[in-house]
Amino acid sequence: MTIYAIIIATLTFGAIFSVLTLSLNLQYARGGMINFGTVAYFAAGAYAYAIFTQEPPSGLDQYRFGFDMPWYVGFLAAGVASLLFALVTGWPTLRLRGEYLALTTFAFAEVFHSLLLNERRIGNGSVGLANVERPDPTTLGMSDTVGYALAAVVLMLVTAFVFNRLLKSPFGRTIDAVHDDEIAAQAVGKDDARIRLQVFIISAIPIGFAGALYAMITTLVAPAMFTAEVTFFVWIALVLAGEKTIVGAILGAMALVLFQELVKGVPFETVRGAQIAASVEEIVTGILFILVLRLRPWEKLSKRNAS
Amino acid sequence: MSDIILSVENVAMDFDGFRAVGGEHGLSFNVNRGGFLGLIGPNGAGKSTTFNLISGVLKPTQGRVAMNGVELSSLKAAEIAGHGLGRTFQTPRAFPSLSVIDNVIVGSEHSEEGPLAALFGRWRPADVELHEKAEHALERVGLADRLHDSVANLSGGELRMLEVARQLNRDPSILLLDEPTAGVDPNLQVKLSEILVQLHADGTTLIVVEHNLAFLLNIADSVVVLQNGALLAEGDPDSIRHDPAVISAYLGADHET
Repeated sequence: MTIYAIIIATLTFGAIFSVLTLSLNLQYARGGMINFGTVAYFAAGAYAYAIFTQEPPSGLDQYRFGFDMPWYVGFLAAGVASLLFALVTGWPTLRLRGEYLALTTFAFAEVFHSLLLNERRIGNGSVGLANVERPDPTTLGMSDTVGYALAAVVLMLVTAFVFNRLLKSPFGRTIDAVHDDEIAAQAVGKDDARIRLQVFIISAIPIGFAGALYAMITTLVAPAMFTAEVTFFVWIALVLAGEKTIVGAILGAMALVLFQELVKGVPFETVRGAQIAASVEEIVTGILFILVLRLRPWEKLSKRNAS
Repeated sequence: MSDIILSVENVAMDFDGFRAVGGEHGLSFNVNRGGFLGLIGPNGAGKSTTFNLISGVLKPTQGRVAMNGVELSSLKAAEIAGHGLGRTFQTPRAFPSLSVIDNVIVGSEHSEEGPLAALFGRWRPADVELHEKAEHALERVGLADRLHDSVANLSGGELRMLEVARQLNRDPSILLLDEPTAGVDPNLQVKLSEILVQLHADGTTLIVVEHNLAFLLNIADSVVVLQNGALLAEGDPDSIRHDPAVISAYLGADHET
């Protein structure tokens, strides 16, 4: 694997997962909500894209729905699907706090995963939907990989821009107030439950778009791609570079994806070597995570800068 | 009846079987529109709990609270605040993520507060106006030179004044203040007393919980005394000062005012 390929892959997947960490940054660092079901919103977007763009079922296909729409309709449908899923899961759960919300969102994601796995009429069950339709970047004179890397980076930048704009506005101020002290926020007429739900839904939309882009790049959606590992991956990425800032959310995802791509890029002589490298990669990620939680380097750094 | 803005009727509040407010028959009192009610009583008498029941932070076990004839018991705290009821807390509550001025602005009714307004930047003109108004409110409580400070740098007394400013800025028709002078230095207490007198003159209904009776009894026009969650006495400040039951329960036998 060349350095060029590693850079392109890191940009592509780093940007896609950055969209997820940016959304978690909004939900958690600003909104105070722990969402451990992130992957479900991602999957909802990916499946919605695949279902809206694929051809109607024929032959041995077990799925029931295929709307054969253009890619941009599928892309929009992905955002809407994630939004609706956030509405359905957020409405009953957002009254919960901290770890209770984490457990509930995790459970919702597991139920959704199980539904995709067992309900063949939605997405062919464990087989998934292959040959996902996608626009061809070569018509714009770009290679396939560069085109999708660019698309992912644009989605990431737009997400960062929109979230930044939200947080710098009176809406952001209200989010902070509700997060800081909901009783005091209520005393000045802020409906904390409504604001939390708004934050939850807004932050889910880009996750759906990222899911659609992920489906285009991999040209496949299957339950095995959307396990809780994705959720843990983005949470680790978020915490790694400091969960408080938009730049931190992006850097964390980029760094973690780069690390993975580097390990993948090592030319292993034997299968055994590759297996060991894969396990070591997970162990190192875990150790990094523990170290960051334990030593809190970013907090110390920001305190030093402030004083 | 139209001159009664707030009525508390047979209200009782139980915490795990312990009756914090209400006594045997429930607590009842009325507040006149534009009135200035002092709510006093020994520690644990249920003053703050009564505030929480009125403002919707707690829902009464029994009885009803009505404001302008609207039953409040079924409304959320935020809705009650939207009806024009403002309150401060016994322990001041600030928003540490926000600067001093933003702590006040965030309490305003912002016409362009939603996410769509945020996205398209329509909020700026309204925000400028609110900024000026909030600055004025902070000036009134003596925090004019701390606008962009972090609330972490404010003293306990200043936090209390910040909370007062946040509520002043909302122009509530009825304002509940929970121990506004506690930890506030004497100069600011004078300022606070002037603010309250001014609000009273402007027609704002005030209910103030206070242990500093010298402060309260000089400016309130009626007083409710609570003991063990029940009404001990009710009347104008003068009659309360000389009420034997109040003196033995709260003011102390050797009390002189």
